[in-house]
Amino acid sequence: MNLNAFLATAWNGFREARRNRVTVVVGVFALITLLLATLVTQVTVVTFRRVMVDTGLGLMSLILVFLSIFLSSGLLAREIERRTIFLVVTKPISRSTFLWARFAGNLLTLFTLLAVMVAIFAAEMVLYRFPLDASVWAAVGMLTVELFVVTAIGFACSSFLGQTVSAVVTVGIYLAGHLSGDLYRFATKAGGAVGSVGRAMYYLLPNLDRVNYRPLATYEVVPELGVALKSAASGVAYGIVLLIIASVIFERRDFK
Amino acid sequence: MTTEALIQLESVSKEYRLGFWLNRRVHALRELTMDVRRGEVFGLLGPNGAGKSTTIKILMNLVRATTGKATLFGQPPTNRQMRRRLGFVPENPAPYEYLTGREFLELAAALAEVPRSETPARVDEVLAAVNMERAANLRIRRYSKGMIQRIAIAQALVHRPELLVLDEPTSGLDPLGRKLVRDLILSERRRGTTILFSSHIISDVEAVCERVAVLVGGKLVRAGSVAELLTNQVPAAEVVVEGLSMEAVKAMPITLHQVESLDGRIRVRIADEQVNQFLGAVVSQGGRVRQLQPERFSLEDMFLTALKEAGPRGTVGGEISE
Repeated sequence: MNLNAFLATAWNGFREARRNRVTVVVGVFALITLLLATLVTQVTVVTFRRVMVDTGLGLMSLILVFLSIFLSSGLLAREIERRTIFLVVTKPISRSTFLWARFAGNLLTLFTLLAVMVAIFAAEMVLYRFPLDASVWAAVGMLTVELFVVTAIGFACSSFLGQTVSAVVTVGIYLAGHLSGDLYRFATKAGGAVGSVGRAMYYLLPNLDRVNYRPLATYEVVPELGVALKSAASGVAYGIVLLIIASVIFERRDFK
Repeated sequence: MTTEALIQLESVSKEYRLGFWLNRRVHALRELTMDVRRGEVFGLLGPNGAGKSTTIKILMNLVRATTGKATLFGQPPTNRQMRRRLGFVPENPAPYEYLTGREFLELAAALAEVPRSETPARVDEVLAAVNMERAANLRIRRYSKGMIQRIAIAQALVHRPELLVLDEPTSGLDPLGRKLVRDLILSERRRGTTILFSSHIISDVEAVCERVAVLVGGKLVRAGSVAELLTNQVPAAEVVVEGLSMEAVKAMPITLHQVESLDGRIRVRIADEQVNQFLGAVVSQGGRVRQLQPERFSLEDMFLTALKEAGPRGTVGGEISE
């Protein structure tokens, strides 16, 4: 693999997001959290930290997950439809390297935005004399894993579907991924053929609830390190498998 | 120019499957065999939908051939290392429009494995070659079509390729833009770059190509050097005479391809080998020869003949079957 080409492509992805004014979401986040903080101080004193952490982390997750879907689910399809890819994959860079580099560029964008949002959130919490504890950092860490998985789903769909269908399917998998625990419980109760299909679906879908540590952070519960690492590892592994499948599809498809 | 073939296509066919059940088949290319030799400018000529872009896409590894074998520098199109030696400009190129021209060329240089230390000089060199220095720091989204074409050519040249593949590089350009592209092709040829150039603009192909292949409806219908293809045409001449009646001219024992009356003069078109006989007949009957002009056959004549021979298949692109 040509590392220089990989880095140039990844950096180009980051530059694309920046120049298309994706950074405006940080402004939206700052504005909403500031308004919420002002509002919350008017109605509660006791649960102030709880509400701030809950809404702050929730808003961060909501904005970044939907941004991740928006950026990743149509990326490859858009490159093919606009034919920008013709000038890239005809250079000595493999299609797989291109895909992984674009993935890295998307993650760089999302993690940079996350870092800025966390900094704003932390500054606000410090302002109200609630320093961030380990539970919040654990939730932020697991949000990076969730973004990794969602971006990988978007890329996998985009490797063979059009922009719109890919976005719809990615949103569907994201929502189903947060309900997969319920699906398993339903499948166990149902039994028979329905149960088997339900269990198969459970194993195919990502279990995004395993990487959702936001409710714990709200109640200042610090998760066990071993459990957290296991959940993170399974999320990353799921994303990598999806990217490998996407690479195989992308290597073989025709760009008409 | 050597006879070493840089591009070889052996019985290459491409079939696209369309429709929800993939049951409709479009034969975009059928059994194409041709080669492009080192140092030459080779033209792929054909109407829209003839299979020119499909041929180029197979060579550039953008689509896979259904059957047959395509090689560049003796390697299959999937070979990554081989692509260091070639530059490609697609039809209607679409560079990343959020980048400036210079940034796009720097990206192209990185992808083409140009050493970082050499990149700034190479970028300046190709910007000068395509006359884009003044617009180098402008975002591509502000470029005109001609400027986009020039920056696309620059990205194909930034790593000094041995082989340049251009898909319809003059399509949609104004006369000035077309001239600039033609001049660039000729300057690259002088540097020894081999060029495969597809176009449906015959005058462009005729101006720069040494050998051509004519594709119609996905099939190769003519191939050879431009001179060879033109000399294979039956030469003819146009003669204008006066002092004779139309009946007298028509009564001559000569095959006349075209006869028409012009202000008391008669213009005839005859085969080259019958010119002397015709002139003798005119003089012997008291007529005067006012003009004799040998007809120059162009690639356009050859192209139109090939298109006519192909029938309706030539105008609709590849064959479609259920």
